[in-house]
Amino acid sequence: MLSWSSTSTGESIDLAAVADGRDGVGLAHANELLRFASAAAGSDDGELATARQRLVDVTDEEFMIDAAAVAANFEMMTRLADGTGARMPAEPLERSAEVIDVMRIATLTTRR
Amino acid sequence: MTILVRSDLADSHRLAWEHIAAPGSWWTGVARVELATTALIAITDPDPLAPWIGVSRTDRLPFGRVVPAIAHDVAYRLARHAGTMTEAVYRAVVEEIDPLPYVELCAIVSSVAAVAHFCRNIGAEIPSLPRPLPDVATGERPDRLEQAALNWVPVAAPADEVAAVVQAYTGVPGEQRNTWRMADAQYMPDQEMVDPEWTRRPGGLTRAQMELVATRVAQLRECFY
Repeated sequence: MLSWSSTSTGESIDLAAVADGRDGVGLAHANELLRFASAAAGSDDGELATARQRLVDVTDEEFMIDAAAVAANFEMMTRLADGTGARMPAEPLERSAEVIDVMRIATLTTRR
Repeated sequence: MTILVRSDLADSHRLAWEHIAAPGSWWTGVARVELATTALIAITDPDPLAPWIGVSRTDRLPFGRVVPAIAHDVAYRLARHAGTMTEAVYRAVVEEIDPLPYVELCAIVSSVAAVAHFCRNIGAEIPSLPRPLPDVATGERPDRLEQAALNWVPVAAPADEVAAVVQAYTGVPGEQRNTWRMADAQYMPDQEMVDPEWTRRPGGLTRAQMELVATRVAQLRECFY
């Protein structure tokens, strides 16, 4: 979806930077969003507080809340997908081969 | 510090908590709150159990139990280690509880995960779960079920005509409604999914920024889907 949405809007993103969690993704506020999302999925409350404040500093509180909600949505969707054994149909999976490679997710237990 | 959460999002989480405390299709309100409590314990556990250890065999569930041990075990595992779920785990669980109660359990866990993580993400306290409402499970189910090819679980017929994540909870209609109400507020209304330029408001997160956050969380949760 990230690859599709950015391509559709003419934005050029570096998926490898997303996979590595490093700077240089290529979207506005991407560094702050990536750090916030990484900290949200981690367990260090201090790191999350720092990432949250940094995101608010470069955007605003409303923006941070929307990012927090998207992160929460994917805490929900990952449990939904992995609890119910959701799998992708073969054809879109074949089209996504390059993305799967760059994101280094080919060997995940949840690949079905 | 007071954080102002937009009303549709706050409402969806308030309704999700109320929904957990109400009787479901297959579990009573008491059982649902019990499972939700196990999910919360898992998510907030500072020293989480390994995925293969059943929480029911430990002293981490400090309450009387009306729910079978295996339901607590899989609720904890799904809440904390979703990326380790396998079909073998699913098959073992549905030898003891039927597939539709299992689907309802997954939905309770995923709803709890959304609310709990949102609160942590914004630096707020997780609200206490409400007291369970009395009454028996409703038995609500679709007119016809089919075994999906795109999921382990049965879904409302016809199967596999929509994405696996969209059909996953259709076997338990109340959970399907609650989950997608939450997704509308947390992510985007489903009718907007096809629009790569959709944004909640001018100056808000762009679609690509939303997908960046989504991708990173899913990657770190080791979710292939």
